[in-house]
Amino acid sequence: MTKKILIVEDDVHISNIIKMNLNLVNYTTAAAYDGMAALELIRQEKFDLILLDVMIPQLDGFALMERIKPYNIPVIFLTAKNSVYDKVNGLKLGADDYMVKPFEAIELLARIESVLRRYGKEERIMEFQSIQVDLDKREVTRLGETVELTPKEYDLLVVLMKNKNIALSREQFIDKVWGGDYYGETRTVDMHIKSLRKKLELQDHIKTIYKMGYRLED
Amino acid sequence: MKFWQKIFFLSILVFIVIFNAASVMVIERSHNRMLQQEINGAISQNMSIHSSVDAIVPILRIYDSIDYEKTVLSRIAGEFVDKNGDQQVFIDIRDGSDRVVFSNLDFQMPKERQELDGLAENEIRYVLRDIGERTILFTTNTTVINHKTYLFTYMLDVTPVYQERIAQYQFFAQVDIAACLLYMLVMFFVSRGLTRSIDRLNETAKVIAKGSFSERVRLKSGDEIGELALNFNKMASVVEDKITDLERNNEQKQRFINNFTHELKTPLTSIIGYANFLRTTKYKEDLFLDGLNVIYSEGKRLESLSLKLMDLILLQEDHFQMEEHDLQDVIAEVKPALEMMAKEKQVQIITDCEEGTLLMDKDLMKVLIFNLADNALKASSERQQIAVRTYWQDGHYHLQIADEGIGIAKEHQDKVFEPFYMADKSRTRSRNGAGLGLSICQSVADMHQGVISIRSSENAGTTVEVSFAGVRGKGGVEL
Repeated sequence: MTKKILIVEDDVHISNIIKMNLNLVNYTTAAAYDGMAALELIRQEKFDLILLDVMIPQLDGFALMERIKPYNIPVIFLTAKNSVYDKVNGLKLGADDYMVKPFEAIELLARIESVLRRYGKEERIMEFQSIQVDLDKREVTRLGETVELTPKEYDLLVVLMKNKNIALSREQFIDKVWGGDYYGETRTVDMHIKSLRKKLELQDHIKTIYKMGYRLED
Repeated sequence: MKFWQKIFFLSILVFIVIFNAASVMVIERSHNRMLQQEINGAISQNMSIHSSVDAIVPILRIYDSIDYEKTVLSRIAGEFVDKNGDQQVFIDIRDGSDRVVFSNLDFQMPKERQELDGLAENEIRYVLRDIGERTILFTTNTTVINHKTYLFTYMLDVTPVYQERIAQYQFFAQVDIAACLLYMLVMFFVSRGLTRSIDRLNETAKVIAKGSFSERVRLKSGDEIGELALNFNKMASVVEDKITDLERNNEQKQRFINNFTHELKTPLTSIIGYANFLRTTKYKEDLFLDGLNVIYSEGKRLESLSLKLMDLILLQEDHFQMEEHDLQDVIAEVKPALEMMAKEKQVQIITDCEEGTLLMDKDLMKVLIFNLADNALKASSERQQIAVRTYWQDGHYHLQIADEGIGIAKEHQDKVFEPFYMADKSRTRSRNGAGLGLSICQSVADMHQGVISIRSSENAGTTVEVSFAGVRGKGGVEL
């Protein structure tokens, strides 16, 4: 079951780019361009998460927060201001996280994921074509058969699947899989990608992107 | 030491010194007068004895007997003593060889009597002596009877005069203490009363120092302290005004920064987002074109924002060339460009201009007209009109740009000149402005000694007017 995310952002371009990124990783989205419209949508539909800009017309983000409290939907603030006051105010009102514009798509995805996990809304089984990953058991099966992966290979696969259709650089892989304090060579990434391709027969789907890194493609 | 205490103690000190000195002087003077009276009385008594003796001398000469002389002298002396019985009067008469002829002394005659040295005939000398507890006035003279010299000493007890002086001092001491106490009491209230206004001033100053700049001294009096309070209040209100000014300035700056970040980050977020999206995802032609379009238009928006910012910065420095131009001509020059701008909305630009030569920077004046027209255009709906007029009124040259658009709500009208202020709080920017236009216009108008004013009613249109002072009239006549 895909998660449904409401994007409340008055700038059409920003709203669109967020939508495009979320759609890539199989979230469904709805967009509202002002506070009242957002309130309307929240009353009508069920959302798993709301991305909320603070400065929006008619009903600003903070006011909207107050109104939607009873629905108990996780909220991530999007704000252009990085003043402490706004952050504190947003979190005090019950926001789960905040993002300061401009932001990177993968960072937004990571935060959405972590907020969803906190709410127990994260899918525990991920699928990609014939591959299934059980996050609780840390088990990978292909066509129903278990595939043995090293821990790093497993983590790398999860990162690839979570950022499906988005190219990540070798540095980003190292950061997400080996952790920020790893000072190994980026070639380590290449080695692991190579063995993942082989073990899971993903040669056609894990694409090498020139000057960028790798991308898992449908 | 507090000021009221200084007044209090100093005045008491001065009072005690002067009051005591004056009182002592008065007491001493009256004592001396009384003493002098006693002395004069004694001397005249002495003289009267002397004259009595003189009167009897011719008779004594006839008898020429020492015993008789002595008897007569004793009798005269005795009469005197009896006559002044109520007063302590003593008479002592001795002959040449210091034998006592008459004496009613109740004390020992002192041995040393310096007043006798070189005492001439018919001369009276007096001296004061302390005998035991008493003070005795001695008056002495000599009389020659039948070639024999007799020494007459008339003595008066003047102790009461001295006792009187002591009594005076005792009384004075009581009066002194009472007067000092009374004076202290009065001075206490007087000095407190005088310094109370200073205290109040002081308290207010403390309150102001703690940051309540709206505090004032409530003190009404015509003296120097009243004047000080008045000036103090004046100073406090000047300080308060300055502080309010500074605070407002600070707020404006903060708002400028906040707005600037917002204006900067919104297009940046789009540009970075789209660029990253295109960079990291699989190529799809329609998405690719859409993305590039957004990047282009948002980049353009950033460009216009930075240009306007530069305009603002330039305006704050002083690089501009002022030359004389006819505003009518300038408007005619920019009209085609304005019409181009208005074409999309099919808005009609109407010009109705009178001649007017201004000392101006032509480029900046164009910026002013463009910005005002741009605002008017943003506010207008399709097929409306924008009127650009210049005309003379009351010796001032006016530039007026009027639209028939959505207007500005009352509560926004005083803030529209602030950088980044947009009457539309939502900042939907569907009309793509940054809110810098009017703020630039204001600076340009200031530079040309123009005053910018706005009349607007919602949904009926806005009229912006710049009235220029110090302008040359038609035909270059200085007005």
